[in-house]
Amino acid sequence: MPDALSDLWASLSPASQDAIVLVLLLLPTLIVGAIVVAGYRPFPLVRALLWRFRWTNLLFIVLIAVSVGIGVGLIAQERGLRHGTARAAEKFDLIVAAPGSEITMLMAAVYLQPSDVPLLSGEVYGEIANHDHVSLAAPIAYGDSYGQSPVIGTTADFVTHLSGDLAVGQMFASRTEAVIGARVPLQLGATFTAAHGVGAAAEHDAHGDYAYTVVGRMQLSGTPWDRAILVPVEAVWDVHGLALGHAPERIDQLGPPFDADFFPGTPAVLVRADELWANYALRSEFSRADTMAFFPGAVLARLHSLMGDVREVMSVMAIVTQVLVTAGVLAGLVILTRLFARRLALLRALGAPRRFVFAVVWSYAAILIGLGAVAGLAVGVAATAVISRIVTARTDILVRAAMSWPELHLVAGFVSLTVLIALTPALIASTRPVVTDLRA
Amino acid sequence: MGLPLTISDLKISGDRGRIILHVDRLSIAPGEAVGVRGPSGAGKSTLLFAVAGLLPIAGGTVRWGEVELSALSDAERAAFRRQRIGMVFQDYLLFEELTPLANAGLAGAYSKRARRKPITSRAAGMLEKLGIGLDGARSVASFSGGERQRVAVARALATDPDIVLADEPTASLDREAADRLVDDLVRLAREGGKTLISVSHDPAVHARMDRMIEVVDGGLRETVTGDA
Repeated sequence: MPDALSDLWASLSPASQDAIVLVLLLLPTLIVGAIVVAGYRPFPLVRALLWRFRWTNLLFIVLIAVSVGIGVGLIAQERGLRHGTARAAEKFDLIVAAPGSEITMLMAAVYLQPSDVPLLSGEVYGEIANHDHVSLAAPIAYGDSYGQSPVIGTTADFVTHLSGDLAVGQMFASRTEAVIGARVPLQLGATFTAAHGVGAAAEHDAHGDYAYTVVGRMQLSGTPWDRAILVPVEAVWDVHGLALGHAPERIDQLGPPFDADFFPGTPAVLVRADELWANYALRSEFSRADTMAFFPGAVLARLHSLMGDVREVMSVMAIVTQVLVTAGVLAGLVILTRLFARRLALLRALGAPRRFVFAVVWSYAAILIGLGAVAGLAVGVAATAVISRIVTARTDILVRAAMSWPELHLVAGFVSLTVLIALTPALIASTRPVVTDLRA
Repeated sequence: MGLPLTISDLKISGDRGRIILHVDRLSIAPGEAVGVRGPSGAGKSTLLFAVAGLLPIAGGTVRWGEVELSALSDAERAAFRRQRIGMVFQDYLLFEELTPLANAGLAGAYSKRARRKPITSRAAGMLEKLGIGLDGARSVASFSGGERQRVAVARALATDPDIVLADEPTASLDREAADRLVDDLVRLAREGGKTLISVSHDPAVHARMDRMIEVVDGGLRETVTGDA
């Protein structure tokens, strides 16, 4: 029977599974609510109490909403960031670099957070480029910058690989031409001089008057490459006074094939195999003493799985903080119910069953919690939109965080847990001494 | 029809276990209107709450007709109040946000489904008899004291109780409103044959009762008939 159940479960679409989980999470609320109000009509009174203490109630709702919103925003943001980083790594099948840290190289080659690394030689490059199953072997030579934009030396094939057709203009065709990312603040035809290095440490005069002219702009990709300026790798070598990658008689050639004797080196090579399986073969082939080969996607997945643990801790912490805030709110409710203790005592004096008073107070608390939770989703959506925009602006990784099932599950779990906790103030309110409250 | 009340050797203790009210013997006939007077703090309201089954009793019996109230559980006493007792308080104790009809028909919110409709229609009828219009959504927040107390009287009578207990029903009202209120209260109680017990300082209330009892220092001192 459990097998049949798990088979049935597995046969459902993810959306149906998520919907069922949501219903299951809300079920305690619905069951408790149905039992508590069974046979009574507490809602006109609840409405009266909500209206009577509207500003206090509003404050409680806002408190719940903010705590729910932060929790919801955090996990939505974390997922958005994960998707964004994964999308940014999509185009990078296999990276070959000098042995070192895969993560450093991932940050440098995929997310354009440069760091000093040893170079791969012309021989190694040639070995990669001439491999039977390699369809694209593009040098990624970083180290220079212009303003906020890293200047990357590479090949025209890599530009096409990244962007497909250019959004405007054309491919660089000489060592002084550049193709820019979609968010680089330069116009077509603009000229600029690259600085040696990146950021505050960049040496602005190091490359004299070696000026590039912008000739094309790539499509928007939602990755850090939108901020990058791509130039022929030969230009980067040229700027640094190195050999130009080709024999002297072919000095103006751009792109492969390169001549190993005149190849100054590159920090990384992006490799695309002609077949999926060949990627694995290439990775093991180039994982050796003088080279390191890795799948950025796999490194990222490892990072994400590490972050996954953090995420779970974060979700639990989000729930715990929300429950704490709500417990505080409910403690406030116990105090608030003293404000209407006389009205509740009146109900008891008129003969209302204790359970009716319990139903009124619980429904009142449940409505505050429910409204707070719904408002919390709205706060979460708004917070997520703002944080996404900031993260996107800071990292150039397009983060599209949207409300999804995990947030709804979180909120549903929160609601069910807190309406159960709300049984306590209801119990306290329904067991207060009637005559004492009546005379208060 | 009203219920007779029989109290014998009733003792009610206060917070520290001291006996704050001792009623040796009290009988009230069905349909009788009885006023309770006495100095402040003497135990008038305590007597009223005791016969309503709202206070735990330290000894003796309170019997309404065949029902020994003092032997019932808390829930059973609540059910008894729900079905047999209507109550009116000094400061109305209405839900300000609700309409007159919702206030008068309040018992419908916690009564059995079959009783809801009769309660609502009786509440509407009582409001009409008391001259309170049923004009739509207006809440009682804008009502005068006299109007509010009449809504409270309608609430007390909406369940067609056998007993009406009133605790200083006119104390918050001006003279004119107080007179009108006590006329209405006594008239409606007599029309329905209800047993009425009203705690009051107000001679106008006393004048309309069949009989007065006086609570002094936690005991019934005497039973007097007619006006004080």
